[in-house]
Amino acid sequence: MLVRHRRRIALLGVLVVALVLPYIPPFTGEDYRRWLVGAAFMAAQAVAFDFTAGYINIVNFGFAAFVGLGAYTSGILAVDFGISPWIGMVAGGTVSGFVGLLTGALTLRLRGIYAAVMAWFVGLALMGLIRNVPDITRGSLGLAVPSLLESSENLPYYYVIMAMLIVTFAVLAWVIRSRYGLAFRAIGQNLAAARASGINPTRYLVINFVLSCAFAGWIGGFYAHYYGILTPDVMLTSHTVEVLAIAYIGGRGSLWGAAVIAFPLSIGVEFLKVQFSTLPGVHLVLYGLLLIVVMIYKPGGFAAVVRGLESWLIRSRPGDTATEAPPAS
Amino acid sequence: MTSAATNLRSVPLARRFLNFTWLTLGLAAAILVFEAFAQPSIVVTTLVTGGMWALMAAGLAMVFGVMNIPNFAHGELFLLGSFTAFTVYSPIREALLNDPSLTWLKILGPFPGMVVALVVGAIAGVLLEAVLFRPLRRRSREQWVMNTFLLTAGVSVVVINSYRLTIGNDFHGVPAYWDVPPISLFGVPISVDRAMVLVIALVTITLFALFLQRTGLGRAIRAVSQDETGAQMAGIDLNRIFILTMGISCALAALAGASLLFLFPAYPDVGLQPLYTAWFVVILAGLGNIPGAVIGAFIVALLQNLTIFYIQVGWVDVLPTVFIILILLFKPSGLFGSAVKGVWEQ
Repeated sequence: MLVRHRRRIALLGVLVVALVLPYIPPFTGEDYRRWLVGAAFMAAQAVAFDFTAGYINIVNFGFAAFVGLGAYTSGILAVDFGISPWIGMVAGGTVSGFVGLLTGALTLRLRGIYAAVMAWFVGLALMGLIRNVPDITRGSLGLAVPSLLESSENLPYYYVIMAMLIVTFAVLAWVIRSRYGLAFRAIGQNLAAARASGINPTRYLVINFVLSCAFAGWIGGFYAHYYGILTPDVMLTSHTVEVLAIAYIGGRGSLWGAAVIAFPLSIGVEFLKVQFSTLPGVHLVLYGLLLIVVMIYKPGGFAAVVRGLESWLIRSRPGDTATEAPPAS
Repeated sequence: MTSAATNLRSVPLARRFLNFTWLTLGLAAAILVFEAFAQPSIVVTTLVTGGMWALMAAGLAMVFGVMNIPNFAHGELFLLGSFTAFTVYSPIREALLNDPSLTWLKILGPFPGMVVALVVGAIAGVLLEAVLFRPLRRRSREQWVMNTFLLTAGVSVVVINSYRLTIGNDFHGVPAYWDVPPISLFGVPISVDRAMVLVIALVTITLFALFLQRTGLGRAIRAVSQDETGAQMAGIDLNRIFILTMGISCALAALAGASLLFLFPAYPDVGLQPLYTAWFVVILAGLGNIPGAVIGAFIVALLQNLTIFYIQVGWVDVLPTVFIILILLFKPSGLFGSAVKGVWEQ
């Protein structure tokens, strides 16, 4: 109990730091604040991604396409119908969730790898679709989208995306702690055993997948109205891999690991991009290498490192041991 | 899930013969015959591209069947092959431009590049197994399929972007391997390059099939894909089979990249389309099914070429996907997949 309690306090501390970060130099500059927005955007995506990958062990390889679908939905609603971006973002989440429902209902009956690859195909098909209807999406030329806020400064956007990150995290963590979370874990760890104990796996898998896709679409809506320009490239598989790398480096099946690690990782990567502006793609090499190392040598990622530190701290203070439960996952 | 035996007994006779797989194959054959009269060029391009997709997909299917690795970096071996072939062929091409009278070089010139690509691909495959998959296998085989999928996704990103960093975004290609007038196949003019691609694909696939069917090593590979523990008990060295499998699979992908250099010049993202096409094929055919992958490759090629010809090149990713989703709706384990679970599914 105490470990969990302590971790919650630590997480709140991290959150407070993240919230005041834009007032701490060097993050007071507009460029740095833009990095912060990007980091929070990545964090929110990674949380939504980890909800599926870390718990039911299905890698949504078309994740970026669901983000992009939400972005395009919201963008098109705003451009063609003059609908407020705030409503558009929710609509984007709904559309992504719906497509996620179709994809999931179709593929989640099959084994994990089929679902992963089929989600990837659906993503590729969506990207092809967006490219091929330039009358609506303006294809590769890019769709100019009205911005979310009057202000052109990054600071208010940062608080919007932070709020979205908190909502995403809170809702998904709440689901995880419910009866559903238990079922997700059971299915992710051993499908046959879960089925034997009376869980209908497909139903839970689909619920999980749809939620993740819906949040992806909602967050994508923010992307559209923050950057103001949308091209089909937002759906590229390499974006999925970026999110995936952050989620796994953060630690699969923890939600908070991905949320926390996204900030240093994403900001570090932006820093690299500036330093090596002549070397495009250097950040992706870094993500890829980190992902490989984590997959082979530290499958629990950053979250496992934190847990290891925790138990080390507990062991080094013998008075505490009686009150501590073994580290919960 | 019912076993295959009870399925056979409970399914009415008519349905056994009118099953979905045969319907699809029949439909594909019918379209091919129809197009052979209406639009022979579609048939020819289907054969050519299908041959190359078969090389890609057969390797992908084999690695999945034997090692249970869904290789997401398979397209990067294609890239490796095409760049290697470019590097080897460039000086030869230079020599040819300086002295066009070297007839023997004109005919044989492209082959060294392909052979070197084959070797480089094999080495890369062996390295992948030794440096990545073996350490992971030693640490844990839990959730192996998903973990290796992510691992290879990481490899793919690293290779693509390292290539971009070191070699750049330029296209490195050749206009044609054999710079001679096109020949005629079924009344359709076809460049010698394309014809050679078909020949190379057919020869390689035949050799590959013979290797799997007739040699001891090939039998060992098939044994491992059917039952790893059983194969081990029969005295098969798994590590050796894994290295061999990965090497062959990657060599095939590199060969595909090398022989298609005139169509797909080497650039960082060149592997993407071959990669997802190969994945289309193995998902359509059923994961791990090598002969199915060869047939599936031609079906996918037919689909793509029909889409390009009758609709628009931009829809080439969209329509086949819809088609595959439809097939999976009726036959979740793929066209040639059986209801019996593979080792990796248990």
